[in-house]
Order: sequence, then C-alpha cells, then structure tokens
Amino acid sequence: MKEIPDKEILLFKSCLVNVEYPGVESSTRFLFDKLGIEYIVSERQSCCTGLGHYSDLFDQFSTAALAARNFGIARELGHKNIATLCATCYAILKKSGNILNKQDHIRDSINKILDDSGVPDLKYNLEDMDSRSNIFHAVEILYNKVDEIQDLVEVDLSEIKVAAHHACHYCKVHHKDTIGNVRDPMVMETLARACGVQTVNWYDRKTNTCGNGFRQRYMNKDLSFSITAEKLMSLKENEVDILLHMCPNCQLQFDRNQKVIGESFGTEFNIICLNVSQFLALALGADPYKVVGIQTHTVPVEPILDKIKQIIHAYEV
Amino acid sequence: MNTLKIGENTFELAQIIIKDLKASENIGILKCIQCGMCTSLCPAARHTDYDPREIVKRVLDKDESLITDDIIWNCFYCYTCHSVCPVNNSACEVNQILRQKAIDNGKGKPKIAPFSAYGDSFLEYGLGAIPNDFFDHLLKDYGKEWLQLKVDLEDIREELGLGPILLPEKDVNDINKILEKTGFTKRLERVRRCKDEGNSR
Repeated sequence: MKEIPDKEILLFKSCLVNVEYPGVESSTRFLFDKLGIEYIVSERQSCCTGLGHYSDLFDQFSTAALAARNFGIARELGHKNIATLCATCYAILKKSGNILNKQDHIRDSINKILDDSGVPDLKYNLEDMDSRSNIFHAVEILYNKVDEIQDLVEVDLSEIKVAAHHACHYCKVHHKDTIGNVRDPMVMETLARACGVQTVNWYDRKTNTCGNGFRQRYMNKDLSFSITAEKLMSLKENEVDILLHMCPNCQLQFDRNQKVIGESFGTEFNIICLNVSQFLALALGADPYKVVGIQTHTVPVEPILDKIKQIIHAYEV
Repeated sequence: MNTLKIGENTFELAQIIIKDLKASENIGILKCIQCGMCTSLCPAARHTDYDPREIVKRVLDKDESLITDDIIWNCFYCYTCHSVCPVNNSACEVNQILRQKAIDNGKGKPKIAPFSAYGDSFLEYGLGAIPNDFFDHLLKDYGKEWLQLKVDLEDIREELGLGPILLPEKDVNDINKILEKTGFTKRLERVRRCKDEGNSR
C-alpha cells in the first residue's frame, strides 16, 4: 500500500462541502485534531473546477493551471500533502499533478501564465507534487489511523447497519492508487467496523455510480435517477440504516433526491447518508449539531441518534 | 455508412485523441480488442443506447460523425469502463475529448450553455457552485428545507466553527488573470452568448 502522511497536510476545501454539508469539514477537523494529525486550511485555495470540468465547461489546460496555483500555495505554506474532502477534487488534482510533471511544454506555458498574472512565487517546479505520495483523500489519512480510531470510540453502535458508497472518482479514475480492490473497495467498511458497527460488505450494485453524472442530474434527470434508484433498492433489500459517503456530490445525490425517487417508485427508503468522517465523529462522541452538522441533511439523521441514545440508556439500566 | 478510402489513415481520429491533454498517458485506444468489458458495466449502456465499445469502434473507424452524435452526451463520467479495461483504454476519456471537439466546432456549445453560471461563479469568487439556473428545479425535488438551509448557512457554519467561504480579493483577482490567459474567460463568453441566443429563441 502507498505511504500515507499524518503531518504537513493541507486540508483541501470543497465547494459542495462548503455549502451543502459543512459538517463534513468540521467532522474531519475534529477527527484530525483527536488523532494528532497536523494540518492547515488555506483561505487562498480556489476550487478544483470539478463540477465545471466534468460538465465539460472547463478545459483541461485551465483546470491544470488552477491546480498549479493551489499546489504553489500548499508548497509556500509548507504543507504539500493534500487531503481532499471530495472524490472529484482528488481525481482532478492527481490528474493535474501528472500533467504538470510529465508534459514539459504545458508546465512551461502554465508557469508563464502564473508569472504574467503576478504570482511568480506560485510557479510549479518539476516534481513539486507527486500524484501518488502527496495527493490523498481525507478518508485515506483516517484509514491509516484505524487502530487509533478504534481506541477512541465512545458510543455503542452495534445495533446499526451500514453500507458504503465508495465514490467513482476515488476508486476508478486513478485506480492504481486506490487502496484495496477497485472492484470491491473496503476502505470505509474497515473504518466503520473499527467503531463496532455492522457492515454490509457487499451488496448488489455496490460499485455503481451514484447516478449524478454531472450534467445528467440536471439535463437527463430520469436517467440519472434510474441509476440512483437501483442502488437505493439494493440498500433497502439489505436493510441498511446508513449509507457512508466520501464525496459530497454522491451524498447530495442520495440524500437530497431520495424522497422524490422513493415517491416515483411508490416506496420510502429512509436511508441516512453520512460522510464517513461524520459517522466516525459521531462514534467518537462529537456533537451532532455543533460538529457533525446533521442539520443540513435532507433525510433526517435523528432516528439514528435515538438509537444510539437507547443503547447507552440500556447499559445504564 | 462510413467508408474508407485506400491509403487513408484510419487511425487519424484515434491519434488525435491520444495526443489530447485529457488523454491519460499510454491510453490504449489502439489496443482495443472490442471485448466489451466497458459496455458490460456501463450505467449509461444499461439504460440508453449509449455503448462505450461502439464509441471506441467508431473512433478506430475514423467515424467523425461521432463528434456531432448526441449519443456521446449520455456518458456519466463514472470511469467504470476506464477502471476495468484490460488494455488501459478509457472510453470515458475518449468521450470527454469528443465532447470538447463538439464544443470547439460549435455543435456542443448549446449542450454546455446551461452550465455557464458555474464559470461565472468561478470568476466572481474563485469557487464552484451548482449553476443557479437549476435552483428552482432543484428546490422542487429537494424540498423547502433546502431553501431554509441556504438562508441559515452562515449561522450553521459559524456554529460548526468553520471559517469564511470567500477567498481574499487579491486571490480572486489572480484567478481571473490566470483564467483570462488560459483562454477560459473567452471560452465562457462564447458559451454564454450561445445561452443567450438559446433563451431569446
């Protein structure tokens, strides 16, 4: 397995986490703090272009130029290990890093642009970033600390059943750098099991896309939802309480659209969607509203809190 | 039917794609054996006429009509095909490159015009956002609680101990300078114009 850092980390903010599920960032910070992972966040970091890039609006050259600028900021701050909160940021940054390292004329053109734009200090030097040893998903940083996490668990979750949706842009784009088997990823299940929860390790359609498909959710909604529905049906059959996520776009697809998809199939799914950081933070005793941020979720998370409370109560009696 | 002339380079379209900046290093288009692994797992193929194996075959046949064929707009960019291909080909990347060709020749611009507000947001704030044109449509599906979230967002972020979303003004200006020089700003203007024409029609 690749070597995973626990210091000099730039926690890379995500546009969808910012405005849809800010609790993903606060939960990740809570966990990093508890685990002694040394990191910073930069107000200067721009978005990766992901949603624009994969709706074909952004061109690859512009995306790589903005990545070079963000890499320069990470280097200047002495935190050149990037940990993303979103699978698409992860894929985009790795791709841009590869381009900047391997295509000399592109790197030169981008450096000239950074120079001409008044930010020569942010120019990209060859091998500044290594896609494999500097760019990570935050989940990988946590996975590396799974034993420590196990020791910090504060609540009993043994009555809860979870399954995981490993985002395509984590697993499939740079598949040689993915931890574990791309066809049956277990990164999130491993983390969840450390908290004593029951995991559904395999379910039909486990490696399916969430169905968002960037433009598809907005331009071909029926097609998008038919894919999402396949997975929701399978999760329902497996009586899953919580679906774990590692990408805010997938989380948005399953959480915000779940009700309307259920209605079109004449059913209710009631599958809670949590980023794996949010789930682990809950397990480590974080406040559901002040850290985990469950108040921004569409499928209510409260039923699971009641279940956790009940379990604690049963022990007290 | 697409016919080939004697002496014609049938791999011309494939070679153009291989050289594209979006194509992964050592992309195996020319090694495709039409095994169909890509199609067997493709979500779009399961629900539409889209067929990644067929897309690659048409590229290898130098079938340039593919660029203006609506079928390329069905891919989800999930990279499932890319992750299972035994010869390191990527129908997903081929598709992305074909769409860029369609945008360059004008036919694809109306397809991406609805997303132009993403670019506007990027130039204004240095941040991505779901294009606001979709807001009403999303609100209907997401429910009114989502609207309340937008209203309460700043308070919620504060409660969570998170800093401001916005970048310092100087950084936004730098990003604008960079995107002007990469050609993105002009590209966005052209897409926007196409959107305005679509709206006035």
